[in-house]
Amino acid sequence: MTTLINIHQLTKTYQMGDSTVHALRGVSFTVASGEFVALMGPSGSGKSTLMHLLGCLDTPTNGRYELAGQDVGRLSRRARARVRNEQIGFVFQTFNLLPRLSALANVMLPLQYRGRLAGSVVGKTAVSALEQVGLADRMHHKPTELSGGQRQRVAIARALVTDPALILADEPTGNLDSQTGQEIMALLQQLHQNGRTILLVTHDADVAAQTQRVLRMHDGAVISNQ
Amino acid sequence: MTFFNTLRTAFNGIFSNLLRAGLTTLGIVIGVASVITMLALGNGARAAVDANFRYLGSDVVQIGVKEKIDQGEFVPVGQILSYEDGLEMPRQVALVDQVIMSIAGEGKVRHGRNVVDMPLLGATADALLTLIARQEVQPVEWELSKRPLPADFLAQGRFFTPAEVIAGADVCVLGHKTARDLFGGDNPLDELVWVNRRRCIVIGVLTELEVTNPALRNRTRPNESFYLPISTAIANLFDRPPSVVVTARVSDEARMGEARQQIIAYLRQRHGVEKDATGVYADDFELTTRQDILGAQQEAARTFAFLLAAMATVSLVVGGIGIMNVMLVSVTERTREIGVRLAVGATQRDIVGQFLLESVLISAGGGLLGAAVGVLSIPLAAGLNRGVALLSPQSIPLALGVALLTGLLFGLYPALRASRLDPIEALRYE
Ligand SMILES: Nc1ncnc2c1ncn2[C@@H]1O[C@H](COP(=O)(O)OP(=O)(O)OP(=O)(O)O)[C@@H](O)[C@H]1O
Ligand SMILES: [Mg+2]
Repeated sequence: MTTLINIHQLTKTYQMGDSTVHALRGVSFTVASGEFVALMGPSGSGKSTLMHLLGCLDTPTNGRYELAGQDVGRLSRRARARVRNEQIGFVFQTFNLLPRLSALANVMLPLQYRGRLAGSVVGKTAVSALEQVGLADRMHHKPTELSGGQRQRVAIARALVTDPALILADEPTGNLDSQTGQEIMALLQQLHQNGRTILLVTHDADVAAQTQRVLRMHDGAVISNQ
Repeated sequence: MTFFNTLRTAFNGIFSNLLRAGLTTLGIVIGVASVITMLALGNGARAAVDANFRYLGSDVVQIGVKEKIDQGEFVPVGQILSYEDGLEMPRQVALVDQVIMSIAGEGKVRHGRNVVDMPLLGATADALLTLIARQEVQPVEWELSKRPLPADFLAQGRFFTPAEVIAGADVCVLGHKTARDLFGGDNPLDELVWVNRRRCIVIGVLTELEVTNPALRNRTRPNESFYLPISTAIANLFDRPPSVVVTARVSDEARMGEARQQIIAYLRQRHGVEKDATGVYADDFELTTRQDILGAQQEAARTFAFLLAAMATVSLVVGGIGIMNVMLVSVTERTREIGVRLAVGATQRDIVGQFLLESVLISAGGGLLGAAVGVLSIPLAAGLNRGVALLSPQSIPLALGVALLTGLLFGLYPALRASRLDPIEALRYE
């Protein structure tokens, strides 16, 4: 198995006036391509901060981050945008769909930022991503016309559409009832079986149990990895 | 992102709050509309000046009496400019080979029971040539390219001759409508009409005329006219000898300056003009050449352009600030959207493009609306101004360009602000 994520002594500190917040205090681990990993830990332990760094939304204060062999920890803003677009798919707790766009348009968005792609290719790819999450029949609906579970499926389709190396999901079931959350987990399971690498933050032990490996964090550090 | 997608995104942004975008454009609308209207007024005024002074060929000097206002009346500052002053001019001034004179008066004209109170024109024999040279009127349905001859202006009879002018003959030529007003359907030729208390014979009737410039057609009545030999008019219509307008033709166009000096010397000598205490001649006449008018017109145009630029700048800055304001609000409202776009791979340039295009589209919309309002309000402005307004074709692209530039300039700051948002904070924004 090839290594997809390799982080070494990753730290992140925030300066809040006079005090320094140590959100991450030297985190190191690797994730192999095709793995399904859960990230757990109490509130404020640094899970989201870590996800942001892994998703190239932010840069670490110190340490090294290699994604698929490329050092992405010190990239320019523009280069990080490109990594986000081509290698990362985000799924958020609050879905973060654009309310004025249809499901299809939301899914097309990452491809539109890719540059020179023919409109027909973009459309077809987006439709097939919606098919994968079982929402092809709702593609012209606006987010407000969809249930929470359906919205999260659209968000997953949007994360999938660029065929990314890594899917990062920060509490994807956090805003859903357990039944719907379970459906979303089944979908992620299925994606994993198709070879996707998924890193998922959760507070729910049942959810974590459905992954291959659980990383536990506490106060900015990984305390267990099994 | 492709331009098309950016465009669609920007349109979506605008349509999501169309009312607000519409209100924002108000400043731009007013700015652009006023630019177009003001340019049209300037253009119209210029066209009117052009039309009024087209007849003033580059080889003529127009001479009139200098007047002042005394107890609400125009009175000559010195002597009048008399008919004789003009009559003698070709003989006394070497460079002047011909003069045309005219005088405007008013009077009652009567035939049988029909009486009309109207302006009367004392003219020399070449009045029709002057009419042609002015190009203000033409026979109705005249072919534009063809230059009319004096005969084309006459429906019946003839115009008066130089001999009749010298002699002060009791003859007259009527405008088309004046002839109808006085004679109904009857043939006026060789009939008698009374002008004040004197009789005169109708020797000619003008053909029906129309004003050449369609924009001016409803303001003047070219067919209500009454021509008398100037000497007859002076004797009949005025209690005291009046001032005339003299148009002197200079035999050598290259020597206009010299001719001017000769005319001045001639009139100073005739009127006995002396130097005043400061050593300046107190002339009681005024000379005008085409050069003078062009100079004055250019001066006026410069002042006008300055005013216009000031007004346009103020309203466009106000409009621009409006756009900036609404875009800043829009960026704040859509912080989360910006975060999502950044998360899925939008670059800063993509975000700048999206918001900049949106503000440019708003200003372009305002510009188009303003252009329409401006064009539609031209007749209104002309009416209020009791003048002419002529759409100047370049003003539309000019105004639109300025509107676009305003959108670009004032949209830049909000767009840059949007692009500099931190993606994580933007995503967290409530
Ligand atoms: N932008 C920031 N400025 C200052 N401190 C921050 C910032 N972002 C995160 N932190 C701090 O870093 C620590 C880790 O926060 P983080 O959001 O990663 O926690 P989390 O594990 O995701 O918690 P939760 O389970 O509640 O989502 C917290 O103490 C938080 O206050
Ligand atoms: Mg979190």
